[in-house]
Amino acid sequence: MLIADLDEHAALLDRLEALEAYDIMDSPSEPEFDGIVQIATALCKAPVALISLVDAERQWFKARVGFSPSETPLSQSVCRHALASSDLLIIPDLKDDPRTRDNTLVTGEPFIRFYAGAPLITPDNITIGSLCVIDSVPRPHGLDNEQREGLRALAGQVIALFEARRLSQRKDDLFRRQKSLTSHMRAAANETLAAQEAGGVGTFEVDIETGQAKTSPAFCRIFHLPVAPIYPSSLFEGMVVESDRGLQSSDLGRREATDSLDVEYRINTDVGIRWISRTASFVHDESGRPIKMIGAVKDVTVIKRAAARVQALLDLGDRLNHLTDTESMAMAAADLMAKALDATRAGFGIVNLADETVMMQPEWTAPGVVSLSGRHHFRDYGSFINDLRLGNPVVIPDVTQDPRTRDNAQALLDLDIRVLVNVPIMDQGRFNLVVFAHHTHPYAWSTEELAFLRSFGDRIQAAIARVHAEAEQMVLQRELGHRLKNTLAMVQAIASQTLRPVKERNHVDAFERRLHALSTAHEILLERNWSSAPVSNVVEKTLDRLSVRERIDIVGDPIMLGPKGTLSLSLVLHELATNAIKYGSLSNTTGRVAINWHVEGEGDLSSFNFSWQESGGPQVAEPQANGFGSKLIRMGLAGTGGVNVRYEPSGFVAQMHASLPQLQQADI
Amino acid sequence: MGSLTPPSRHVVLVVEDEPLLLMMATDLVEEAGFEAVEARSADQAVEILQDRKDIRIVFTDIDMPGSMNGMRLAAMVRDRWPPIEIIIVSGHVKLGKDDMPSRSVFYSKPYDAAKIAAQLHRMVSHL
Repeated sequence: MLIADLDEHAALLDRLEALEAYDIMDSPSEPEFDGIVQIATALCKAPVALISLVDAERQWFKARVGFSPSETPLSQSVCRHALASSDLLIIPDLKDDPRTRDNTLVTGEPFIRFYAGAPLITPDNITIGSLCVIDSVPRPHGLDNEQREGLRALAGQVIALFEARRLSQRKDDLFRRQKSLTSHMRAAANETLAAQEAGGVGTFEVDIETGQAKTSPAFCRIFHLPVAPIYPSSLFEGMVVESDRGLQSSDLGRREATDSLDVEYRINTDVGIRWISRTASFVHDESGRPIKMIGAVKDVTVIKRAAARVQALLDLGDRLNHLTDTESMAMAAADLMAKALDATRAGFGIVNLADETVMMQPEWTAPGVVSLSGRHHFRDYGSFINDLRLGNPVVIPDVTQDPRTRDNAQALLDLDIRVLVNVPIMDQGRFNLVVFAHHTHPYAWSTEELAFLRSFGDRIQAAIARVHAEAEQMVLQRELGHRLKNTLAMVQAIASQTLRPVKERNHVDAFERRLHALSTAHEILLERNWSSAPVSNVVEKTLDRLSVRERIDIVGDPIMLGPKGTLSLSLVLHELATNAIKYGSLSNTTGRVAINWHVEGEGDLSSFNFSWQESGGPQVAEPQANGFGSKLIRMGLAGTGGVNVRYEPSGFVAQMHASLPQLQQADI
Repeated sequence: MGSLTPPSRHVVLVVEDEPLLLMMATDLVEEAGFEAVEARSADQAVEILQDRKDIRIVFTDIDMPGSMNGMRLAAMVRDRWPPIEIIIVSGHVKLGKDDMPSRSVFYSKPYDAAKIAAQLHRMVSHL
């Protein structure tokens, strides 16, 4: 065996061991993982996304979108190439890559062409597979930065879910057994009570007539109540958080046996909000009337929060992309953070570093929690501002214990703050905003949650940096536009001085007018930072400047042109209009011009069609000499387009067409 | 050009720091039949305005070195010499109505000489 083979063999053994520990191969589909592949397809705009796990002779898909087989032999696996890499593997065209060009999924149905996969790496640093997206067309540019980051983050979440799944697997086993209990339920439940407590599964039995619930000790612990054999079931129903009300069972629902049997809801407990998954069944008497509701509960907080964090990170990306001011970004972030952490209060404040105060903005609070909006001094609540100043997020799981806040704990407790999370937002190098989340009860922070907070802060930071960069870009472009116009003014001055002796003033005038046409086109482009201009704007402004707007009928689709198209269209229009003023339908007082434009075709093949039709003017004939204006008109709108010029009895007609994508190109 | 000259030549103060542009503006003003007085800065323009009582129109650029720019000059003219008409030109795309003194007009650079000439004539026709 070669050294490389030995290494590969060792990696395979590690991988098989890790897969075994997760007990994941050939398990049924689970919504958490299905959600991740759904997000991956949306994120990368790819038709196929897979969570692929690679064992000794096959790759098996834990979740899949857009791909029907649940597994393939290794010979068809692209993912196995991703195992060797610690970062994304991107293959822009599978047909070109020596590793994949002979793969039968590439050469035959379904003819896949593009692959991007993020390795799934366990905490022990073993790569067990990949989260990948696949497209049926090649992508020379691969994925953009956001997509790469998103795919990496999602791969991280897959592993986090595998880990959480492994921990709760034992509970699940007990839970499944619990669900299948029927008439033997009571006896069986008695036998397994001890086991359930260890596994965190609690059982209950509600007498529908009296509304009294018999509760197992584990049940009481899950609900964080003193262990007691009987509780009124209304007590549990009252613990359900307001927004989840209606999911839990009720007197009426039990009597009519209409309550849902499998539900998830949140409850308020002494240790904060917990997620409960409850499953139940009804016991009927001989006449078929429901007499008892028997069921089991378990605490699913860890899993629910992991999923909520993934969602919050993805939502954050979405929402930040649409916002342009730092304060709405901070608010959006606080809102999502509150959801992901089940906070009782979340929002942001504007920091004044000079006097170490923060102006809290109106924030989101759970019902019954007071608002903090207004000015606060950081030092009244402890010394954690020292960390914030350095740009470090502050997470205090219990304000009465943490050295930074324990001497000021009462001030915080008075505001219902037991847990304090502050994420500083540095705006242009200064600590300007703080995003916060509070809990009324101590909260056990997992390392994933802390990583989540840090990544949350980083993303807000990146989005704010983007907004600043865009603002700077805009200022720069305005300044450049301004200088360009001054330069055109200088050209005008030089020309007017240089051409003073020229006797034929009409040539000099024509030159100046063309210069103005160019300047007008620049002005229109400047309105949108040199990115694009609406065709109707170009037409209106050019004709307006020549004072002939009211003699022209304009009909056209709303279309944007890029800088190149805008300059070209405005110069051609200028020549058409000046010709019409000199010789055509605008040379008398009654003639008119009809301008029409529209787009034909779609995508890369679409063409922009423009027509200029004069009527009511004097007879026109093709000019003998070909001036600059006529030449410009005959050259049309863009290199590859066509021009048709006709001198008809009714008047002059010019029709032009050009490739729309070319006219819309961003560069000039 | 004699035929364009009005009976008594109105005086236009042209304020522009860039020599080439000043030359062109002066030619424009004179070809339109006015007498042009040149100033290379807003400060110099103020000195001229204080000395000469016959200025009818101030034709000024905005971006100029010195203690004040064309906008401040225009505001001062409107304040201290209310009868004088004002034309402002600049390479900046647009000015809001609120930014400009009353009875002042704005042209974007590069400007159309014929339009400026027409504007000068309109302004003196209702003096």
